[in-house]
Amino acid sequence: MSSNSNGKQRSHKAEMLLERFGKKLNRQVAGSLVACVHCGLCTDSCHYVQTNPGDVTYAPAYKADRLRKIFKRHHDWTGRVFPWWVGAKSVFTDEDLEELKDISFGKCTNCRRCTINCPMGVDFATFNRMLRGMLVSVGVMPEGVAVVSKDQWEIGNQMGVLKEDYIDTIEWMSEEMQIELDDETAVIPIDKENADVVYSINPREVKYDPRTISDAAKIFHLAGENWTMPSEGWDMTNFGLFSGDDDLGGAVSGMLYDKVVELKGKKLVISECGHGYRSTRCEGPNWAKRDVPFEMESSVITMLRFIKEGRIKVDKSRNPEPITFHDSCNNARSCGLFEEPRELLNLVCEDFREMYPNRVEGYCCTGGGGAMSMSEYSGRRLKSAKVKADQLKATGAKIVATSCHNCVDGLSDCIKHYDVGMEVTQLVNLVANALIIPEKPVIVPVEKEAEKVVAEAAKLAGKRVLIVDDEPDILTFFSTVLEDNGAEILTATDGEEAVQIAIKEHIDLVTLDINMPGKDGGWVFEKLRTTKETQTIPICIISGKPELRRLIYERSVPAPDGYLDKPVDEDMLLRNVRKIIELAERGELASISTS
Amino acid sequence: MISHEAMHLAESLAHYALIVMALVYILRIRWFLGFVAGKERQAPTGAADTNPKRGSNYSLAIIAMPWVMESTRTKPFLYLQFVLFHLGVVAGITLSFTIPFAAEFTALPIVQIIFKSLIGAAFVVGVIRIIRRIGNIYMRAISTPDDHFALWLLTAWFGFAYFAVSMDGGMAQYIYFWMTMFFLLYVPFSKISHYLYYPFTRHYFGKSMGRRGVYPIRRGPAAS
Ligand code: SF4
Ligand code: SF4
Repeated sequence: MSSNSNGKQRSHKAEMLLERFGKKLNRQVAGSLVACVHCGLCTDSCHYVQTNPGDVTYAPAYKADRLRKIFKRHHDWTGRVFPWWVGAKSVFTDEDLEELKDISFGKCTNCRRCTINCPMGVDFATFNRMLRGMLVSVGVMPEGVAVVSKDQWEIGNQMGVLKEDYIDTIEWMSEEMQIELDDETAVIPIDKENADVVYSINPREVKYDPRTISDAAKIFHLAGENWTMPSEGWDMTNFGLFSGDDDLGGAVSGMLYDKVVELKGKKLVISECGHGYRSTRCEGPNWAKRDVPFEMESSVITMLRFIKEGRIKVDKSRNPEPITFHDSCNNARSCGLFEEPRELLNLVCEDFREMYPNRVEGYCCTGGGGAMSMSEYSGRRLKSAKVKADQLKATGAKIVATSCHNCVDGLSDCIKHYDVGMEVTQLVNLVANALIIPEKPVIVPVEKEAEKVVAEAAKLAGKRVLIVDDEPDILTFFSTVLEDNGAEILTATDGEEAVQIAIKEHIDLVTLDINMPGKDGGWVFEKLRTTKETQTIPICIISGKPELRRLIYERSVPAPDGYLDKPVDEDMLLRNVRKIIELAERGELASISTS
Repeated sequence: MISHEAMHLAESLAHYALIVMALVYILRIRWFLGFVAGKERQAPTGAADTNPKRGSNYSLAIIAMPWVMESTRTKPFLYLQFVLFHLGVVAGITLSFTIPFAAEFTALPIVQIIFKSLIGAAFVVGVIRIIRRIGNIYMRAISTPDDHFALWLLTAWFGFAYFAVSMDGGMAQYIYFWMTMFFLLYVPFSKISHYLYYPFTRHYFGKSMGRRGVYPIRRGPAAS
C-alpha cells in the first residue's frame, strides 16, 4: 500500500496500473476518452445490452466510463479540480481492479459494434483492450487469459501444441491427401525455402480440426501453388489482441514474420481466423514496431483468386444446402474483409442467403475478445448469444459458414444453447468439398494394386480394436469395415463397460464416441488415460458432435491420438485407424510418449 | 426596461467571454496534442477504392449522413433532435452578434421568424433531452452533474434567447447576454467542448478505417 494525494491508501497494483496508464495513452485513445458526450446512441448496438434489458452496467458508455473516470482524475485537469462534477474517479484497492476486470473482460467482447455506431468516433473497443492490457500487466485477469497467454509466451502458440504434435499432424494430413488424390506428389511441404506462399494456421486446427489443414492443402496442391508450412512460428493467432498485451502481440507476430523472412517466402497466407488475420495482418506490425517486407493475405482471398484464375475448378452443386454467412467482427469491422467471402460463397454454394444485419454491422458470435477462454463468464456469453441465435434462425439456412475458428466455437455454443439446428463450417471446407479433382489417366497394374491392398490389410491383421459407441448402426459399420481388414473387434455401448474391457483385454486401439448415455466419452477418455493398465492404449475420438470436443481436450491428460467427425466413411476410418496403429508401433504417438 | 449602459455591459462581457473561451480552447488543444499519435504500419486491407484520406473525409462527414450508421438510421427522431439542437446553438450565438451589431437586420420579420423557429425548436429539443437524460435508465447511469447542468444551461439559454430575438431591450434580452457570457466561459471546461475533439477522433478513426477498407461503409445490396 502507498498513500495518495487525498491521504487515501492505494494498493501497489492500483499504483502500478495508474503508472502504466500514463505510459500507454496515445492521442487516439485520449481523443476517445475526452470526446464522449454521453448521448447514449451506442447503447443498443451492443448485444449485451439487448439481452440484459435494464442492466446499465452493460451499456457501452457505462463500461467506457470506468476508464474515462480514471483518465479524467489523473490526466484531465477539470477532473483533477472538480472530480465530482465531471465524474472523475481514481482506483485505490484491488477490489476496484477486480471490478474493472469484470467489466473489461466479462462484459465486452471488443467487437467494435458500438464504435462503428458512435457519431463522435469514440473507439471504446480499442481503449477497452488497452484497459485489459493494463490489468494484465499488474496480474489481474481471468484465469483462462493467464493460462493461454502463458502457453503462447512459453510454447509459442496459444493452445500449447508441441512441435512434434504439429509436425505429426501435418505429415498425417499430407499422407491422407496423397491417398485421397492418389498422387505421390501431393504433399505438404514443410520449411521449403523461396516458396510463393507460406501458410500459417490456428493451433485449433491441429488440435480440433485437422480437416481444415488437409482441405487447404488439397486446394494449394490442385492450384499448383509453390507453397510451404513453417515448422516453427506457424501460429497466426495472437492472444495479445485479447489480453491487450502489446508485448505478447509483438512477440507472437514477430515470430511469424521472422520465419517467413528466414524461409525467403514471398507471401504469408493466413488461414481463416478473424483475430488471427487482424493480429497478423493489421495490428502485428504496430505491436512489433516493424515494417513487414512481404505481402500478407487471408486464405479466403487466396482461394477466391485460385478460382478466378482458373487454377482450381469448383462445382457448386456439391454444396446444395441453404447456407448463410457470419462476419467475424475482426475480419469485417476491423479489416474490411467482407465482400470476398461472399463472392467465394456464391461460387461454391448453390443457395447462399444473407444474414441481417451483416458486414460491418453484423453482431458478434459472442465468443470474441477471448471470451471462449474465460469460463467464468460463460453464462453471460450464452445469454448474450440470443441476438445471434435469432439472426441465424431468421435466415432459414441449414449451415452457417464463417471465416474464423473462434466464431466456429462461439456459433457452435450458441446453436447448441438455443437449439438452432444448424451446422457450422468454414469456407475452406466448402471450397474443398466443391473441388473438381482432375481425373488421373494412370493405370495401376492389377498385381501392384493387389499387393497394395494386401499390404494395407496386413497393417490391421491381428490388431484388437475396441469400438465404443451407443449407436448399433455405427458399431456394426465400424466392426464390419475393420474386421474385413483383418482386425479383431471388441465393442462396448457405454462408458463403464468400455473401461472394464480395456483393463481386462489387450487392446491396440480404442475408437471412442463422446456423446453416450451414462458415463460419456470424456469420462472414459480420462479414465483410460489415467489408469495404469490402459494409459498407453491409443485412442481415436469419433464424434458427431464437434461442440463436445471440449469434454475431451479440456482434460489435463495427453490429447487423443486421432479425431474424426461423423459421418465417417470406410476409407477415412481405415486410413486413420491404420495410421494410429502404425505410429503406436513405431513409438511415435506424442500422447503415449508423454503419458 | 434595462438601461442602455447595463445592456451594453452585458453585451460586451459576452464578447470578452468569447475571447476567453478561444484562449482556453488553445490551451486545451495544446494539451491534447501533447499526447503522441499512435502510428499505423500495416499495409492497406479491404476494398481497393479507399485509403486513409478517403476514410478520414468520410468519417468527418458521417455526422451529416444519418443513413450510414445504424444508430442514426434507426433513430431518426434522435438525429433530428441533434440537428435542431445544434442549429439552435449556432442561431443563439449568432444572435449575440446581430443584436448589438446588426439591429436593423435582426429586426426584419423574416430574420425574426428564422431565429425564433431555430431557437424555439432547440428549446423544445432541450426539454425533450432533459426528460430523456433523467427518465431513461441508461442515460441516467452515464450522466455526470456536468452533463445535466450543461443541458439545463443550454435549454434555459435557448428560452431567454427566444425572447431576446424580439429586441425589446427587456429583462429576457439582458439575462440572455449574461447567460451567454457564463455559457461561453463554462463551455471550455465542460462536455460542451466536445466539438473541439470531434475533428480529431473522427479523423484518426476514419484514417484507420480507410486504410483497412471499412470506410466508406458498404452495407451490401439487400441490407435491411
Ligand atoms: S460513446 Fe459515442 S455514442 Fe456512445 S454515448 Fe459516447 S458519444 Fe454517444
Ligand atoms: S465493443 Fe461490442 S461488446 Fe463491447 S461494448 Fe461495444 S458493442 Fe458491446
